Amino acid sequence: MKKFIIISLMAAMTLSTFACAWPGTDNYYLFRPYYAQSFKSRVEKICNDNWKAYIGDTSTDDWYSFHDDDVLKAARQKKDALMVSYVQNLQKYLKCVSVEQDKQYEWGYPTKEEIAAQQRDLKAVRTYAQGKTSSKLRSQHALLYMRCNMMLGQHQENIRFWEQTASQFIETVYKDMMKNIYAGALYKTGREMEAGQLFAEMDDYESLMTLYYQKRSYQAIRQHYMQNPTSKALPWLLTDFVNNAQEAADAITGGGGAVGKQFIRDINNQESSQMQQFCEVVVKEGKTDCPIMWKMAKAWLEFLSGKKREAVDDILAATKLDGTARMKDNAHVLLLYITGSQAKSGQAFDDYIADELEWLKGKQKEHEWGDGFFDEVENRFTNQVLIPHYKSNPIRLAAVCRALNSYGSGFDLDTLNVASLEKYLYYTNTPASTKFDKFLKRNLHENDTTMSELIGTKYMRLCQWDKAIQWLNTVPISYYNEHRTKEYLYYSLVRQWNVEPWSKRQWIDDSQAWWERDHKWGKHRKLDFCKEVQSMENSLSMLNGKALEERCYNLAVRYAQASIHGDCWWLLRDFKSCMDTVRVHEVDLGQKAVQMLQKAVKSSDQSLKRKALFALGYRELYNDMKGVHFWQYSQYSEQAHEYLTYYDRQSPQFLAFQMLYDETGDQPQEDYIRRCDEYAQFRKYYRQHK
Amino acid sequence: MKTRFSLIITLFLLAMTACDRHSSRHILETGNAVYYWRTDLRLDSAEKAFLAQYHINKVYCRYFDVIMSDSGEPKPNATISFSDTLPDSIEIIPTVYITEDCMHQTHEGLAEKIVKRIQQMNETNDIENVREIQIDCDYTSKSRRRYYDFLREISQSSLFTSHFSLLSTTIRLHQLSMEAPPVDYGALMIYNTGDPRKWEERNPILDYRDVHPYLKHLDSYPLPLAAAYPVFQWTRTIHGVRVDHTVEAEEILRVKQAMESEREDLSRSIITYHLDKDNIERYKPDTYEKIYHH
Repeated sequence: MKKFIIISLMAAMTLSTFACAWPGTDNYYLFRPYYAQSFKSRVEKICNDNWKAYIGDTSTDDWYSFHDDDVLKAARQKKDALMVSYVQNLQKYLKCVSVEQDKQYEWGYPTKEEIAAQQRDLKAVRTYAQGKTSSKLRSQHALLYMRCNMMLGQHQENIRFWEQTASQFIETVYKDMMKNIYAGALYKTGREMEAGQLFAEMDDYESLMTLYYQKRSYQAIRQHYMQNPTSKALPWLLTDFVNNAQEAADAITGGGGAVGKQFIRDINNQESSQMQQFCEVVVKEGKTDCPIMWKMAKAWLEFLSGKKREAVDDILAATKLDGTARMKDNAHVLLLYITGSQAKSGQAFDDYIADELEWLKGKQKEHEWGDGFFDEVENRFTNQVLIPHYKSNPIRLAAVCRALNSYGSGFDLDTLNVASLEKYLYYTNTPASTKFDKFLKRNLHENDTTMSELIGTKYMRLCQWDKAIQWLNTVPISYYNEHRTKEYLYYSLVRQWNVEPWSKRQWIDDSQAWWERDHKWGKHRKLDFCKEVQSMENSLSMLNGKALEERCYNLAVRYAQASIHGDCWWLLRDFKSCMDTVRVHEVDLGQKAVQMLQKAVKSSDQSLKRKALFALGYRELYNDMKGVHFWQYSQYSEQAHEYLTYYDRQSPQFLAFQMLYDETGDQPQEDYIRRCDEYAQFRKYYRQHK
Repeated sequence: MKTRFSLIITLFLLAMTACDRHSSRHILETGNAVYYWRTDLRLDSAEKAFLAQYHINKVYCRYFDVIMSDSGEPKPNATISFSDTLPDSIEIIPTVYITEDCMHQTHEGLAEKIVKRIQQMNETNDIENVREIQIDCDYTSKSRRRYYDFLREISQSSLFTSHFSLLSTTIRLHQLSMEAPPVDYGALMIYNTGDPRKWEERNPILDYRDVHPYLKHLDSYPLPLAAAYPVFQWTRTIHGVRVDHTVEAEEILRVKQAMESEREDLSRSIITYHLDKDNIERYKPDTYEKIYHH
């Protein structure tokens, strides 16, 4: 049986919430003046280390999990009867806690009897623990006693016990945990201010949020300061305020994602200004023990509200004030961000950035197991400062995005045009000349095969088959088998580019659970396609008459299939999206298919002519053509408050269907024409509206 | 002669099937209902008064969610606590929201686990006379087959048949174009119809223009349907501005009228989403009277 010792206080104090919650965003906070190590993880780690030492586990694993059976075995070997009875009662208590957990998260919802037993056991364990609070293991037993009281709702008893007894115990992690339960009891019995001080001292951020959820405004923080200028809760409250202001500013500039964080409070400019003035008052009054924190809060709030010059002055002043090492680092980070976002381009800036990024990398290494602050600073600095700064230089921009943590920036190598991509590949493979390039190249880890594949695909999108073949020739088949999803490989294997999409859609039978099987390419499907189309296009000029018309028709089939709306979307994309459109620097293959079909339509071969006319009625060909309607479409009428149907007699689809109708009459013989429901609707309409 | 006899029998059976399809719509009794979507069943005086004033006879109460755990197995989440009880005259319908990704693969025994958990929650919390379970899932063409198998597994499980007599599921508008699920009836969710990113153009909660394309599926949809209308508010901060999405009463009533003119029996069983003091105060009593008009 494995169990973690958990502190149930958090569960007992959770806010009543709705079942749904918003996902977080990645607009990292830059005002973080203290190292955020939550109380829960800190005490859990110490407790587990204590258990590890007790059982004599000398392994070097950083994280040990409490195994009650191992502890009992060790205690029995040591003939430590008190520890045996303690662990046995702890097991009983944990079982009671798990009944509460089961209610929330387990399939086995507790029965009435189990709940009654839980209450009985809690009382029994409490009685046992109370009797051992003067023993050798008094701290552990006292904690067990307080835990039981907490679960039973005996908060007054916990207050009395802490104040009269447990607070006199020697400093241990168990005493810290008792103090946390005591703070919770104060909160439960209405002594919120005292509880807040204790939670803040203990870095119990979850409890602080519960406690101050409705008291985080400028006015509330000011009032809090007036009552106690050195209140331990103030750094947390100020941080929460400033970060909410950042959230509000990010929402305006679009840097904060669409939905905001779960605990966001809207800080408007007026409230931010009030806080800026108040920060200055606090620094001048000299009652605070961390003026650097208030000064940099002011600077950051100024920057966020657009007062950039004042922000520079204040952040420079902040760096000269006393504070903890973390506060000084935080001020350094804010100075970098505030000045970097206003700097002019040039060698001096590049050199400065190279030095600062080295400093940041050094901090990341130094705090590898920290709270991730310096990694998040790098992310935000890259996305918000460096990317806009280098946006006019695509090669430098690509290098910055790829060398630094640009997650969330939206940058994708695929957005570069093919010429820039080729230059970028060259850049990555040549020696660096400047300080900044040296930094970037040290941090770039590009895969040349991935780059070649992308460049080859980009040439395919431009229908430059010779260049595409040249690049794709360097990409082995194994690359696709190793780097593409099962879905991609399956679609690319079963969907053929020589099938006429207007006559037959290549639907996938999803009842066969194909995605659960492995699929591999045996041939280079993309290269084969390029070679086939290149060969067909190259010989166009040598053909005439029916052979030429047939060739045009067959090329149209391939273009239509390779287009983003075709069944063979996998030729030009790695995945299919119904929202996808033809991008800049790409040829509209639907339009190219239409051009070929218009040549085939001129055929004197009746069968080919009809097939081409029918194909020209295929609506997927026109999806990306601006200003082109389908032959029939619905549009909402604001006047009628209703959808109205319109017919565009000049649309290419209408004209093609009209010619087909004239060609075949009202009762076409061809099965592929008769089966088309869209054409049937057209015939119905056209019969009455010739 | 034999052929003609077969033809008559076939026509008769077809007629019977058609009648049966329409008569099966009567499985839903006329009545008023609400969804209850909080994590603690605790009603204040306004909510209690609402239940009485609008003759609410059913509460679809979210018991828990089922989500994918890190270990790749579905697990319960956000289970409700029962601090309060409903009046005896009101039927409680345990409702379980299951995330769509749980249906990306088959999870053996999941149906049984859910029924068992609901039954245990009823027993532990002294909730009696429960005869129905509703499952809420935003299934797609990818997950539909597994979801329907899962629903069949629920209705065929011995635990379900010994304790419950009805199984229903929510139906989103986009699901109307799919084959109907194997349940006794569906609760048609007439909300969350729009794209939240295009909030400036259309109300993402409900806009007649977004409902319109689905109206054509209503009459031929082979399941009995209850109609669930939105009375909630959705607050977001967009570009620094607090945006409250609320549906105008006129829009709800316009959609209701359009739905019912396509399919008359949609006026039989009406649900509002969801019971909450703020939602009650959001609309005038007259609006609620009209929403609950049969």
